[in-house]
Amino acid sequence: MMMRFAILGLAMFAAVEAAQAGEPKAPITFERDVEPILTRAGCNSGPCHGKASGQNGFMLSLQGFDPTFDHIAIAREAGGRRVLRSAPEQSLLLQKAAAHVPHGGGRKLDPDGPFYETIRRWIADGLPRTPADAPKLVRVSVEPTERALKPEESFDLRVTAHFSDGSSEDVTPLATFGSSEATAVAVDANGRARAGKLAGEATISARYEGLFANCDVFVPLAGEVSESEYAAFPRANFIDDLALAKWKKLGLTPSAVAGDATFLRRAHLDVIGRLPTPDEARAFLDDPAPDRRARLVDRLLQRPEYADHWATKWMDLLRPNPYRVGIKAVFNLDGWIREAFRKNLPYDEFARRIVAARGSTFEQGPGTIFRDHREPIEIAPVVGQLFLGIRLDCAKCHHHPFESWSQDQFYEFAAFFTRVGRKGTGLSPPISGSEEIVFTAKSGSIKHPLTGAVLPPKPLFGEAPVSDDPEADPREALARWMTAPENRYFAKVMANRVWGDLMGVGIVDPVDDIRATNPPSNGPLLEALADDFRGHGYDVKHLIRAITASTVYALSSEPNGRNVADVRNFSRHYRQRLRAETLLDAVGDVTGVPDSFDASPPRSRAAATWTNRIPSLFLDTFGRPDANQDPPCERTSDTAVVQALHLMNSPGVHEKLTSDEGRVAAMAKGDATPKAIVEELFLLAYARRPDAEEAEVAEALFRDPQKPRRAAVEDLLWALLNSPEFVFKD
Amino acid sequence: MAPPRNCESSATRRDCLRLGLGALMGGGLVDVLRARAAASAATGARPTSCILVWMDGGPSHYETFDPKPDAPAEVRGDFRAIETSVPGVRFSEPMERLAAIADKLAIIRSIRHDQGNHGAGNHYMITGAPPRIPVGCGAFVSFHPSMGSVAAHERGATGGLPSYFSIPSMTRSGGPNFLGARYAPFVVPDDPNSASFRVRDVAPPGGLEVVRVDDRRGLRERLDHFKRFSDKSAGDPALALDDYYHQGYELMASPQAQRAFDIGQEDPSVRDHYGRHPFGQRCLLARRLVEAGVPFITLNEGGWDHHTSIFDGFKKRVPRFEGAIAALIQDLDQRGLLDSTLVVVLGEFGRTPKINKDAGRDHWSNAMSVLMAGCGTPGGQVVGATDAYGYAASERVLSPENFVATIYAKLGIDPAKILHTPAGRPTFLVSDPTPIRELMG
Repeated sequence: MMMRFAILGLAMFAAVEAAQAGEPKAPITFERDVEPILTRAGCNSGPCHGKASGQNGFMLSLQGFDPTFDHIAIAREAGGRRVLRSAPEQSLLLQKAAAHVPHGGGRKLDPDGPFYETIRRWIADGLPRTPADAPKLVRVSVEPTERALKPEESFDLRVTAHFSDGSSEDVTPLATFGSSEATAVAVDANGRARAGKLAGEATISARYEGLFANCDVFVPLAGEVSESEYAAFPRANFIDDLALAKWKKLGLTPSAVAGDATFLRRAHLDVIGRLPTPDEARAFLDDPAPDRRARLVDRLLQRPEYADHWATKWMDLLRPNPYRVGIKAVFNLDGWIREAFRKNLPYDEFARRIVAARGSTFEQGPGTIFRDHREPIEIAPVVGQLFLGIRLDCAKCHHHPFESWSQDQFYEFAAFFTRVGRKGTGLSPPISGSEEIVFTAKSGSIKHPLTGAVLPPKPLFGEAPVSDDPEADPREALARWMTAPENRYFAKVMANRVWGDLMGVGIVDPVDDIRATNPPSNGPLLEALADDFRGHGYDVKHLIRAITASTVYALSSEPNGRNVADVRNFSRHYRQRLRAETLLDAVGDVTGVPDSFDASPPRSRAAATWTNRIPSLFLDTFGRPDANQDPPCERTSDTAVVQALHLMNSPGVHEKLTSDEGRVAAMAKGDATPKAIVEELFLLAYARRPDAEEAEVAEALFRDPQKPRRAAVEDLLWALLNSPEFVFKD
Repeated sequence: MAPPRNCESSATRRDCLRLGLGALMGGGLVDVLRARAAASAATGARPTSCILVWMDGGPSHYETFDPKPDAPAEVRGDFRAIETSVPGVRFSEPMERLAAIADKLAIIRSIRHDQGNHGAGNHYMITGAPPRIPVGCGAFVSFHPSMGSVAAHERGATGGLPSYFSIPSMTRSGGPNFLGARYAPFVVPDDPNSASFRVRDVAPPGGLEVVRVDDRRGLRERLDHFKRFSDKSAGDPALALDDYYHQGYELMASPQAQRAFDIGQEDPSVRDHYGRHPFGQRCLLARRLVEAGVPFITLNEGGWDHHTSIFDGFKKRVPRFEGAIAALIQDLDQRGLLDSTLVVVLGEFGRTPKINKDAGRDHWSNAMSVLMAGCGTPGGQVVGATDAYGYAASERVLSPENFVATIYAKLGIDPAKILHTPAGRPTFLVSDPTPIRELMG
């Protein structure tokens, strides 16, 4: 009793004191006032008390996502030592935070500062929670949302919290800030952004109570670009308009449009992963029709190689290890994906059939994905990343530290997969050869790992009503929600994948990591691409046509003085090394000696191999995903010295150059003139004719009396293959 | 190319102590390093090398070098603490052969950082720079050059050999970043334990005469009209390929390289001593590369992410693993190479104190144990400590920056050096260039 009186007395005293000081303040409450301070000071961050097991016995929810838990931890645990209402300054919470007693984290609160005072008053007031009916935080905004700076100029951001009752509050001192590119524009803890010494751009993210708001900051290149120069840029479609708008902000100017030969080789490699034949190249290069580029892309989209090339990219993402899942199951899935691209299955339908897959792994391809990923918590993050570009893995164990996904949301999302039934024989590595049938089970549920509560299926945002019909699979509801026009993520991530494949880098990069703290280089462009893709029935071929029809796609890779440092805004084309399969097929096509792959029909192309377990030193050297590695879909496009050595010296490439069955032998035996041979080889390898100097150097080989004709052709082709013009898409 | 430099043989103990203070004294460190480099050039002492064994996944500090026998069972784990050759220093039970040579080793028990996932932890420990923006779980990121790439950049190698090897693969952030492809690691994926082991493609294909090899090289140069964009900020990948061809030719022409790769020349008893398994023979290959003058070799050895069954996991793999490292250190010592060769063993972080429900331990960056030996590192010592139950580094708390600065200092590289990115941005090699003084001798 006495104790309570004392507390009440102190609280009244504090209130009186505040009133006397002329600060008619709303009561200080936990969720609204105190939790944000703990977050701002880093108390509940991952490395400190916010990690799953706490720190030195004091555990808070990560970034304050569970206020009830945190309130108990502060108010009731440790025998109540953390807060002393009778003497707030003596509370362990304040003593530690102010480093008045030894604290592993050092001084987190200035004892003379406002945060300390807020917590002190809150303790004195009796640790009130924010009433459940108090206005809820609904949105955070930042001002400005866009700003151009000169080098080394700075400005202050202002962060506002908006509440459900329409009120708002300046929470700048409580917000945390981060920059996507701190060297271009840095931001300090108080929200002051400062440009670096050089031109560039960055997105500043302000975070308050798990919500984000972004401000795009540009540091344009010095010097003026005239409006007429931009006006002269030949705009073919909306992509050009939106790319141009971004260049203007940064003072970038685009490179020239690439020549026909470059476009020809680029489009062939991008759309079908195959070089043009000399005849195809001649026909295109000699075609005077103004629409020859668009007609080229249309022709390529009809080619059978289109399906294999794009299916291989999806197999990188989906293909399980056959030693784990079984050969027949993986083979079926591979075949299904190739068929989907062959038929140009609309992408929403493609996704739906995967997410809601049913049937036998011996008959249906997509069921194999559920044979591979057997638990709801395994398949949920796979689906999130593949089809939404949302990475949920972190939220499996804790609140996502750089995003707003909570552990609850993770398990609710995983709940869509709780009624995946399986019958037949499960995995029995290393063979796993049996059949398994995926069906809709009558029941199934998932529990939150901490609270034990059974969680119903719920999407990450919006609504996805699950039918009461016991026959209805919740995955159907998930697929409907995913592919609905309101879902901004679904079309965006695929548009971004295809853009990244064609342009060398995604608008969001990595292409499947869409989050506030990983902003797009051109948000309006990504939105417009997604809208266009959705508006055309999720037709992947339409998406490819739209991108390749833009002037942006056709730009030369050669930089000018005002875009040389641009590596994200597509004001020039970015060179890409050919992917392993494309390069190996190109070597096979040029030499006329294809590879022969185990477990594949004779004369299969590398792009048609159905598992990365098929041995190939060449493919391993140039990089392909290793199903045994974690993460398995990692594929590197870097070059390395071993790759140069492989093209120079490997017995495999040597065999192709010297084979009696190959092109070199046939050319040497035939009666074509050196001039004709040289032109043919240049067209084969580079999709262009040699210039006069190149022709002279190459033809001189055939005049060397010491060199047999066959050796001349071998050496010439070796030299062409060992050049960056062959290895890169320009 | 930089003159050969040496950390230990020409430097006095006082010099090394000054090293630790170098960062505080401004130019002091640079002067010491410069003086030392000059001295070693004069005496012809061996240049220093580093063999870094990367335990990918993050090895437990409890089950390696920081046992807590007095902790409750759920923290202590299944293994005992064993005595080592140094009175008062105890290792965990699986570290048997290393315990026997503890007098040669320094164990740092107090490095900590705040990056709890693999991509970020690897980046921090292998580059000395924290990742600039939040990094997702499992990511491969690069914001700063790795130690190996910096060593290649600053030191170069002799005899046409690459100056940075990563065997059998590159670690997540082991690349050159802005230094450029020339300083990427040379990766040897092949298994040196296999009877047919050879480093692939470093010699012309069968039967090709030298004259043809030369012809082709000249022809290739005359025919290559592909435009290069020389401004580095353009990031033209064709320039990287040029570097690789250049390196490739150097390697093909290098007798030292061909000899170093020929592990079959090694006495069978030596090969047995390292252990007839891939990791053991990789350790041996690393020693041969050190002998050939390679300044930096990473052995990337995965499988330490023991979220489950940590004790079974250790029992299964540690005897071979730690035996090979002990063999390497002993062999280097017997050959007089340990004075100039730094052996480092670590992963991205330690593991959680409480054993989880799957008999595993999870990621834990508040404490970790790092082994160092050689290159003037005083042996038989433990630097720093964790608290009674191993929750956090508590005495002599050190950062990844201190760790990386130590390695640079030992390699004769000034950790306070400023590098410039292709865009002209000045970047500290290590933001806190203070080496760990106890390790400097």
